[in-house]
Amino acid sequence: MNEPIEIPTLTRRHILVGAAAIGAGLVAAACGSDTKDAAGTNSGSSATAGSSVSTTPAGTNPPTGTDASATTAAADGGVDIKVAQLAAGLEVLAVGTYKAALDAAGAGKLGTVPAAVGEFVTVAMKQHQAHLDAWNKVLTGAGGTAVTEPNATLKPTVDTAFAAVTDVGGAAKLALMLEQIASATYLNAQNVLTDKDAIMLAGSIQIIDAQHAAVLLYVLGEYPVPDVFAKTDLAAAA
Amino acid sequence: MTMSHRPDRIDEPALDRLIEESQDLHTDAMAIARTTMPDLADLTADRRRTGALVDNRGVEDFVNARQTLIRRLTLSLGGILGFSAVSAAFARSASAADGDIDVMQLQTAVSLELLAVATYGAALTLPFIANGNPVIVKFAQTTMSQHDEHRQAFSAQTKTLGGTDQTATNPKYTPIVEAAKPTLAAPIDVVKLAATLEQVATETYLADLNRYTDVTSRVLMASVMGVECQHLATLRAVGALLDGGAPELIKIPLGADVTKLPAAAGSVAFPEAFEGITMASPPEEGAVK
Repeated sequence: MNEPIEIPTLTRRHILVGAAAIGAGLVAAACGSDTKDAAGTNSGSSATAGSSVSTTPAGTNPPTGTDASATTAAADGGVDIKVAQLAAGLEVLAVGTYKAALDAAGAGKLGTVPAAVGEFVTVAMKQHQAHLDAWNKVLTGAGGTAVTEPNATLKPTVDTAFAAVTDVGGAAKLALMLEQIASATYLNAQNVLTDKDAIMLAGSIQIIDAQHAAVLLYVLGEYPVPDVFAKTDLAAAA
Repeated sequence: MTMSHRPDRIDEPALDRLIEESQDLHTDAMAIARTTMPDLADLTADRRRTGALVDNRGVEDFVNARQTLIRRLTLSLGGILGFSAVSAAFARSASAADGDIDVMQLQTAVSLELLAVATYGAALTLPFIANGNPVIVKFAQTTMSQHDEHRQAFSAQTKTLGGTDQTATNPKYTPIVEAAKPTLAAPIDVVKLAATLEQVATETYLADLNRYTDVTSRVLMASVMGVECQHLATLRAVGALLDGGAPELIKIPLGADVTKLPAAAGSVAFPEAFEGITMASPPEEGAVK
């Protein structure tokens, strides 16, 4: 326990690398927001994971805006907006995946679903919807457009994985992957966010998603707190 | 020729101007010190971690910044006053850092981590924990170790920012823990006490995030926050199973018994969609006085 602590993303130099990585991801997300949902072939109860969802406004405080006198793109809210778009795309994907899991369970395609797992999926989906609503409130509050499409980079992977799910364990593993990606992305976003409300929103949601992951780990038979420091290696960045 | 022992008459307006200039220069000196010292600290940390040789460009940047300041001081007030201002600025940098909000937040975080380590350590000496459910024992041991690593990381970052390392447990919650110790009679009592500390830590770190001026510190805190919240989630779930009379379901792996979990176990760990900050400790609570 006395070994030197290795925190790979914590020096200014590393943060620049991390910022570049998330910057690339943010650019991809920005491009992705214009991409059509090519695989969006919803069909009844076998809805594709990550299909479009509603964007009902939630009671979450949107960012109050950034300093208009700032001279950089980052300072005038550009990066914050890109983070909000990336986050919203991930939340659409999460809501859609949980919805697809509930539909599959309702159709008897996942076998017997334990009561606790059913409760988990129902509540987690609602919370991700609240997160999506919060990010969309940020976007529309800043004069932008609400995100209704899932993250275009991850969606094909999730669709492929979901198609192979045949039981509750498989669905839980897929959900765990999404929760870990989300919480890692929110952690990574702390490197680049500038707006104080956006920083708080990302931090607040990171907590809930990490807690979702802990419960899924327990259900899957693994230790619920496996890491000493939360990681960013699964952050959505491309 | 007579010599007067009476001091020359002081030109008070001129002295006021000099004092004002001196104060301005001191402010400039502190600003330059603040912008260059973290870079030097990063350089040092990088070198310690990688074992790499000194990056001369980084050192030159630091030296140039200092020389720029010294030139300005020399031109403005003369060498003696200039050098004394520079010396004062750098000599006071450590103590000044202790009043910096970034440093105070890190010191408070250390105080919370120290208390968490002590509390889990004390819990592990209780017979009904030490000889009880092995999953709870493993959780207490692992969590105590993780908190100690968090403490080390926060301490290292405190020093990097020029602050004094906090070595005392949190002043607000230490008396609360001490008062609770004699009342701990069953695992559920320990779980609830630990959950309180984990929630305080989680919410404190969340509340701190947007007050940081140093991004490195912010990301470190968010990283630790992402672990404390999982401790909290686990304790909430374990607490619910204990309260619900199902301690046999506290096991890893759960296996087929997952079907025996009550529905509430699926959501008790995350009761809200957004984490609040009502239990957050203010930055100065555990700061070094």
